[in-house]
Amino acid sequence: MKAARFDYLRPGDVGEALAALANAEGAKILAGGQSLGPMLNLRLARPALLVDISRLKALQQLEDAGRTWHIGAGVTHARLEDARGRLSGGEMLSEVAAAIAYRSVRNRGTIGGSLAHADPAADWPLALAALGASVNVRGPTPRKILVAHFIQGAFTTTLAADEIIESIDVPKLSRAGRYGFYKFCRKTGEFAEASAAAVLDPETGVASIFLGALRGIPQPLTSLAQQVAREGKIAASTEAVSQALAQSVSGLDAVEHSMATAVVTRALMQVLAP
Amino acid sequence: MTQGIGARIQRKEDARHLHGRGNFVSDMILPGQSEVAFLRSPIAHGRIRRIVKPSGAENQVFIRADLGDVAAIVAPATVPGYKLSEWHPLAHEKVRFVGEAIAMCVAPTRAEAEDLSEQIEVEFDELPVLVDTQAARMESTVRVHEQWNDNVFLTLNYESGFEAKAKGAPVVIRREIALARQAMVPMEGKAVLARWDDRTDQLLVYASTQVPHIIRIGLAQFLGIDQGQVRVISPDVGGGFGYKCILQPEELCVAWLALKFRQPFRYVEDRREHLVVGANSRQHQYRLTAHADERGRLLALDADITIDGGAYSAWPFTVALEPGQATGNLPGPYDFRGYRCRTHCVATNKPGFLPYRGVARTGVCFALELVIDAIARAVGREPWEVRHDNLVSAADMPYDNVARKHYDSGDYRKALILAREKIDLDAWRERQRRGERDGRLIGIGFASYCEQTAHGTSVFSGWGLPIIPGYDQATVRVTPDGGLEVRAGVHSHGQGMETTLAQIAHEVTGIELANIRVLLGDTGTTPYSTGTYASRSIVMAGGAVANACKALIPRFLAIGAHLMQAAVATMKYENGQIMGPRKSVSLRDVAEAWYLRPQELPPDVDLGGLEATVGFRPKRDTGAFSYASHAAVVAVDTEVGAVEILDYVIVEDCGTLVNPMVVEGQTLGGAAQGIGTALYEESPFDPNGQPLASTFADYLLPGPTEIPAIRIHHMQTPSPYTEFGIKGMGEGGAIAPPAVIFNAVNDALRSLGVELTETPLTPRRLLEAIDRAKSSTQPRVKNS
Amino acid sequence: MTPIALSVNGRKVQALVEPRTHLADFLREHCRLTGTHLGCEHGVCGACTVLIDDEPARSCLTYAVQCDGLAVQTIEGFNADPIMQELRTAFSREHGLQCGFCTPGMLIAARDIVRRLPDADARRIRVELSGNLCRCTGYLGIINAVESVIAARASKPTAVTSQAAAPPPAPLQAFAPTGEVARASMAAPTPAPEEAHKGWTRFEESFVVARPPQAVWTIFADIPAVAACLDGVELTEHDASTAKGKMTVRLGPIQAGFSGSAVIERDDRALRGTIRGAGSDRGTGSRTKGEILYRLAPEAAGQQTRVFVTVEYSLQGALAQFSRSGLVLELGRRLVADFAANLNARLVGAQMRAAPRTPFNAGRFLWSWFIDELRRRFGR
Repeated sequence: MKAARFDYLRPGDVGEALAALANAEGAKILAGGQSLGPMLNLRLARPALLVDISRLKALQQLEDAGRTWHIGAGVTHARLEDARGRLSGGEMLSEVAAAIAYRSVRNRGTIGGSLAHADPAADWPLALAALGASVNVRGPTPRKILVAHFIQGAFTTTLAADEIIESIDVPKLSRAGRYGFYKFCRKTGEFAEASAAAVLDPETGVASIFLGALRGIPQPLTSLAQQVAREGKIAASTEAVSQALAQSVSGLDAVEHSMATAVVTRALMQVLAP
Repeated sequence: MTQGIGARIQRKEDARHLHGRGNFVSDMILPGQSEVAFLRSPIAHGRIRRIVKPSGAENQVFIRADLGDVAAIVAPATVPGYKLSEWHPLAHEKVRFVGEAIAMCVAPTRAEAEDLSEQIEVEFDELPVLVDTQAARMESTVRVHEQWNDNVFLTLNYESGFEAKAKGAPVVIRREIALARQAMVPMEGKAVLARWDDRTDQLLVYASTQVPHIIRIGLAQFLGIDQGQVRVISPDVGGGFGYKCILQPEELCVAWLALKFRQPFRYVEDRREHLVVGANSRQHQYRLTAHADERGRLLALDADITIDGGAYSAWPFTVALEPGQATGNLPGPYDFRGYRCRTHCVATNKPGFLPYRGVARTGVCFALELVIDAIARAVGREPWEVRHDNLVSAADMPYDNVARKHYDSGDYRKALILAREKIDLDAWRERQRRGERDGRLIGIGFASYCEQTAHGTSVFSGWGLPIIPGYDQATVRVTPDGGLEVRAGVHSHGQGMETTLAQIAHEVTGIELANIRVLLGDTGTTPYSTGTYASRSIVMAGGAVANACKALIPRFLAIGAHLMQAAVATMKYENGQIMGPRKSVSLRDVAEAWYLRPQELPPDVDLGGLEATVGFRPKRDTGAFSYASHAAVVAVDTEVGAVEILDYVIVEDCGTLVNPMVVEGQTLGGAAQGIGTALYEESPFDPNGQPLASTFADYLLPGPTEIPAIRIHHMQTPSPYTEFGIKGMGEGGAIAPPAVIFNAVNDALRSLGVELTETPLTPRRLLEAIDRAKSSTQPRVKNS
Repeated sequence: MTPIALSVNGRKVQALVEPRTHLADFLREHCRLTGTHLGCEHGVCGACTVLIDDEPARSCLTYAVQCDGLAVQTIEGFNADPIMQELRTAFSREHGLQCGFCTPGMLIAARDIVRRLPDADARRIRVELSGNLCRCTGYLGIINAVESVIAARASKPTAVTSQAAAPPPAPLQAFAPTGEVARASMAAPTPAPEEAHKGWTRFEESFVVARPPQAVWTIFADIPAVAACLDGVELTEHDASTAKGKMTVRLGPIQAGFSGSAVIERDDRALRGTIRGAGSDRGTGSRTKGEILYRLAPEAAGQQTRVFVTVEYSLQGALAQFSRSGLVLELGRRLVADFAANLNARLVGAQMRAAPRTPFNAGRFLWSWFIDELRRRFGR
């Protein structure tokens, strides 16, 4: 289990990283390497060149940008975990970060890397979609795109080969806003069997519920979210969730449906907890 | 505090590991060493049409033809009807499972060796794949081994009093029960490093093995060289669990390289290889019919067992071991007199079955304990009560059971009663009645077993295996400063035998534990033993160490008496002192006399000096039977299918405890593996014979949050047949957990009409069972 | 080879390394610090845990080149560390190790817990240690050891107090939601129940093409054109009924290049076709066989065509050996969906999707060829 040969480049800034991506055949960004590393060692990923952006200062910001938290793509899960209590309006970020894999993985794994990797069972695509976060993409043409649109399928995003994620803007919750995040894993730190995130904020009017850990992208449960916003607990009963799932997510078998119902209901219970 | 038998002594082996100074095979580098990688079959069954080595690298890539005279591994047994398989060290003409080694690549680094393996071209004519045992048995033309007339390694039939006892039984319970295929997953996989030593004219093989002396015999035999030309050294071993008690084809290949090229070569199995090639244990299917009376007293048991033997029979224990142990051990700790069992061990296109910790007993315990609970439900009694009434009673010990096992000693019922008390069944039943606020369902389960340990010649010779364990030997040698060296041919890979064998030596000699060194795992320096497996080492090597130490004491007295100029008959030996009527000399004085001042020795001194090699075999070698009752409480989340273990109690009796801390460690570790079997671990195969768990993301090994804080209570009933009454216990912990957890889960789900009988208990299996139970009782709105 | 300079256990080390050499191999083989063990080499077992710039990390997932200029600390480098001494004593007392293979990584992870979470209870210790697997002990001795070290340190006056719990939030108020983050649902793939080939995975898809069946049928006869609509396919040779080439498949960072051939059968009257192919990827040692059945049916009064596709395949080798086989199925479905989109684009002359999601170099070449080809044929 030793990786196939690759070249390695540690660019000095984002521009250099982009130039490397544009010019080199088979170049691949290496951020924290916690998902890519296993693929490399298993020889399932065989890039010609790894462009290591893990030490780029420009990707390390964790800034209060007023209505959003501005998070550099290179910010590690552990940093967000340790920012618990200091991310006003972004508390969910710390909570989600703290439950990703294991601490020694969180110390190196990055939020940007997780989004770019787009593992359907991963936590960030789900949580950030529910939070209405946007991805700032750098490439030939800089662009900004909602996480919910950025992820296109299992391991698939709109990121082109010559683009990198520079940062993520996460809208803050107001003091009245609530979030819920529930994942069911067969064991601690493993891939989720089922997961759900819910964000409801009376002040901003945001109401979103997403179901994760599917074979493809996180699925929005829009009408359920709107109903819960309007009606509260009554709309979040197991039966209501079960029906909402039956209406908006196709292809779930009975077991998946039961798990999905449970994780959505439990995420909503966190939101609605007195 | 005493340092001898029964003392809770910290381990001698800890310090090096705690400082990162353990010495595993993969830690060794010899000058000029090359690394080895294997090209492994991507298909489960096929004929090899052509292998093309990468051009320019022909002398770095080796296939079966290059190995010339190296013999295929054939593991004979005299069990009637047992069929032989030829397991070539590199695939010969055919591949029979995914992961079978086809070619061996050699390069300065492992990465480069893997680069080479990617460049080899292999063409196959694919053959239909036999994945399922039933299909393999029915198959009329496709053969795993062409020369066979079917795909069955072995069928065993056993019958004793069945018809008479079963006749007219008022309660008849039928169940189909199955265990998934599994890997053993020691944290260190296989590893072997070999070099040729011209000075000693020996092949030096460093191998991560439980059985260095057996490996030596096997390597010499299959390489076709003199036994004296092989020395096997097993350094620190990162867990074995049975995986490392057989001769591995990779060991044969790497030894051949060293023999042929007279240079060092090293192979270290990686995790993907382990999970693919090591998917080799636990897979049993049962059809049981139990006949009982109205109170649930078991009268007779009818069993049909199918074991998925995989493609090859490993040397020396053979694939016959598992069906033999299953047939013989299914009746468990119970007192009944009617038994009929047919066991089929079927060849399939999977890695060959190996003896994993608990060998067959995890399976038979799972099957029978589920049936005991089913009987209890059928007769409307508490499962523990029915279990209790069926257990062999202490008054009947020693007890010869329906499968001709001889249970030596113990109070099986008392262990169960203690387990019930310790888990506090009544309190949990009350809580179960009240219900949980979070909606989870509580269940309580029990399971009991007894475990044959340290069984020897009479048992193994009955199977006619190539290697039959006999007398284990130990060598003890007093050092010139009065310390002691102990050498034994067993090996330790976590069991702490450097400590426990020293405790036994201390018990006899009184030498301070700090001054006793235990040296294991080197055929060049230790006396012969078949090694460490079958929960035998502390009984066998412990007995040998005691005997060897005892042999030295008269010699201490004779020399001591001479030094004090007193009569030997007036001497006694106590704690390193030779005590005469008026004065005493120390063992150190005696040692100095023997080694440094021989002029002070008596003229008729024993020429064996201060060194003795003595063997041991129990008075009766049909096994010292350890036993235990486990009890567990689970909470079942019926929405996501999760099972949490809320409490877990083990009451165990392994006879005289040598070191309670080590016994607890072995028990806990075994139980953790059993919990893995129950809830997490599975090596599934797709219909093409592709293994679907090649990483730890697919193969879930229980971690710290999956294993509860298990509470252990000891009983100590000495075995009448062994030294100090010690019984073996290394495997026991792994036997009962699947049974106890399933019984607890089935207790929790009883109100839903759900009974689960297939390991592991994944959320999907659990939810599907609930779904099936629901749809069989009421119409259900289907999800679109 | 790349030159690196780093600090290992406080000592400066300079070396030339292959970029693919991971830190654990570098430490073990080059620095001869063999206390760092390799238990899985894919980041799950934790045996290889070391400190990189004072933070625990998997040395199997970090390449040595990445540590240029950084400080690495291994189990051999803690002899002056008081927490580590306490842990060692406690591990021995509590029987927190048996074979010793997981122990170095376990100790480094445990030390991080003692430092970072001075009031962790047994449950928290278990959660925090969940990235370290032990096969021998059943964990209890390990947990007890860490707990005892934390307890002993807590009784000293230097213990750090944890953050005060936040006041409980007020319940959520009902509100009228605004805006919409979400987008439309997409079907998750489910394997079709029946299987024609034993052990093969099968799925069915259909899609509509905005052209009459005969026009679609003609295009389907054009092997280069069909190939051009399949992302990542490189055609090396072909005639009317056979084709050879390479297909590059990517799923996230996974990439496999299957070289192989296909046989094509067409039934002009029934507008049905079969493509049977097989290929292998030497890199991952994977092999695949597949059969695609397609059938055209008119829709919208014959102005459109519904293409029914049944795909059956088997996969062997490393790529097949994962339990998350749903992902491979998803990949297959996506290939069909992309094919449909590409075909439609080709037939109606639309621009290809703005940003191809899996940009293959080979694919790009074919795309430009295909746009030209399509303009030529349909004259738009």
